[in-house]
Amino acid sequence: MFIKVRRDTLIILVLAFILILSGRFMTYTAYASSPGAYEGVPISGVIINGNDIEPTDIIKANVESEGFREGSYIDGDTLVTSKTRLPLSEAITNAELAATESAYPGTTMYPITAASITVDNQTGIVTVNVIEDWSSVVVK
Amino acid sequence: MMNAAAATCNVIIITDPTGQSPNGAAAGSMSYDSNMFESTFINSPVDKFAILSGGADTSGSSTVVNDTPRLQMIVEAINDLKSGANAETAASIANSFSGQRLVIGGPTIGAAIAGTSGNWLIEVSNDGTITITPTTGEIGVLPPGTKGAVLHLLHTPGNPQPDNTTAVGLAASEMIGEQIRDGYPATQILANTFKLVAEQSGEQFGGGGINLDSGISTEDTFTPSELNQTGFPMDQPFEKVDPISGWGITFPDADSYTTSPIDNNPLTTVYAYQAMENYITVGANNASVSTYGTDDPGIIGTTESVVESSVNEHGFDATQIASDINKAISSGLLVGVSPVEPDDIHIETYTKQVGVYYTPLANGRTAPVWNLPISSSLLESIGNLQTAIGLIMVVLVIFRSTLISSFSRRRKKL
Repeated sequence: MFIKVRRDTLIILVLAFILILSGRFMTYTAYASSPGAYEGVPISGVIINGNDIEPTDIIKANVESEGFREGSYIDGDTLVTSKTRLPLSEAITNAELAATESAYPGTTMYPITAASITVDNQTGIVTVNVIEDWSSVVVK
Repeated sequence: MMNAAAATCNVIIITDPTGQSPNGAAAGSMSYDSNMFESTFINSPVDKFAILSGGADTSGSSTVVNDTPRLQMIVEAINDLKSGANAETAASIANSFSGQRLVIGGPTIGAAIAGTSGNWLIEVSNDGTITITPTTGEIGVLPPGTKGAVLHLLHTPGNPQPDNTTAVGLAASEMIGEQIRDGYPATQILANTFKLVAEQSGEQFGGGGINLDSGISTEDTFTPSELNQTGFPMDQPFEKVDPISGWGITFPDADSYTTSPIDNNPLTTVYAYQAMENYITVGANNASVSTYGTDDPGIIGTTESVVESSVNEHGFDATQIASDINKAISSGLLVGVSPVEPDDIHIETYTKQVGVYYTPLANGRTAPVWNLPISSSLLESIGNLQTAIGLIMVVLVIFRSTLISSFSRRRKKL
């Protein structure tokens, strides 16, 4: 042996090592069991309710085009998308308008007369409730 | 200049007028013409009806076809059906529009066909008698509670095949009647009808099909992708699939594959009418899975296979599906979502649809939050304290001899 190490020195070193390791593990456990620091909620999905004949995909695409899509996140009262950041309330108004402009595929019929959007600030789920009313559809 | 989407093959088949079977009523539209968008096979999953239309308003210029009357007629029919009218009343709207046709039906409201020519009414009585009536000039009505079908088939101007639609229409009607009598499901009869009509008359471009009982439509699978184009020919190969793993690829990309890249199994060619049948048919344990709360494609695909295997093993049991999904989450197969409760699984046993509502984890975490009895802030401070004590011990050990000698020197002085 080049370096002379006494046996009780080694025991203390091993003890210190175990202490550090278990300390680090406990900090990780603390992280894993904590709800975590608030860093913005990602938009996790869009749920469409209330439509019948109008295909869900069309309404979903229109709502997503206003920023409520994969990759966007909510930071407080702001919606941050890949292109821009804008107030959440403004984004909701825009998306509600976009939902009512969903045409039936291949036609110029717009059966969605009203839409209301709620965004869950905890889970990032966007719920779109629409009213589909064919009696107000005007064919031009 | 836009031509009217003149569907020249419309068919509604009802094999189970009670609405009990998940495949007991089907509808579909095809044509030789272009612009066969979804407005030619409108589907209402909530109220369970289909509106098929077509026909051209030739009262104006002969080359420019006006699409407005057809859409006005459709809107009127939708409003009638939404307020509870039966198929016959709604179809009669076509008579107030010149040159228009309406084919309307649903599992429990019956079926009706009105307007233009080339219309067939097929009725199958409970003792197996098949009655085929050509109903040109009047409304053909299949009353609610009766098994049967309505079919419209006309030759599209410009179709290079000779006009044999009367013979093909009769042959298709006979086939539909026989297969209803023999107890085939409506979705399969629809696919067989599409095959026969597309191959023999050339009125072959989709369009698409609807399963009326379960509210499944092929939507834009076979429709044209652009204005003034034709849709997919329903009698042509649509995709190649591996029957074992389920891997598939659509044409034209499928031309360069002969075996599956997953397990090297030979691929089977699936024709468009078969693909339509597979798409809209609800199998005994063939659950259609919808995932909500996350748009992650990995989660959607994995959830589908977990739910399907759970349904195959235990049937439609929310508790069992939830526990199988939770097993997949704890084994790391599903990443980024919290465990689900049986409440989060919505099952429509009748249409074999399963909806899974996930709660995604915040901050891009991959595993759910641990539920420990000790508060996380206490754990964190103890953990940090331990790390600090450990580090201090290391420092003490390094300077051990120096410290001991200085300590003992001080004692000697005393």
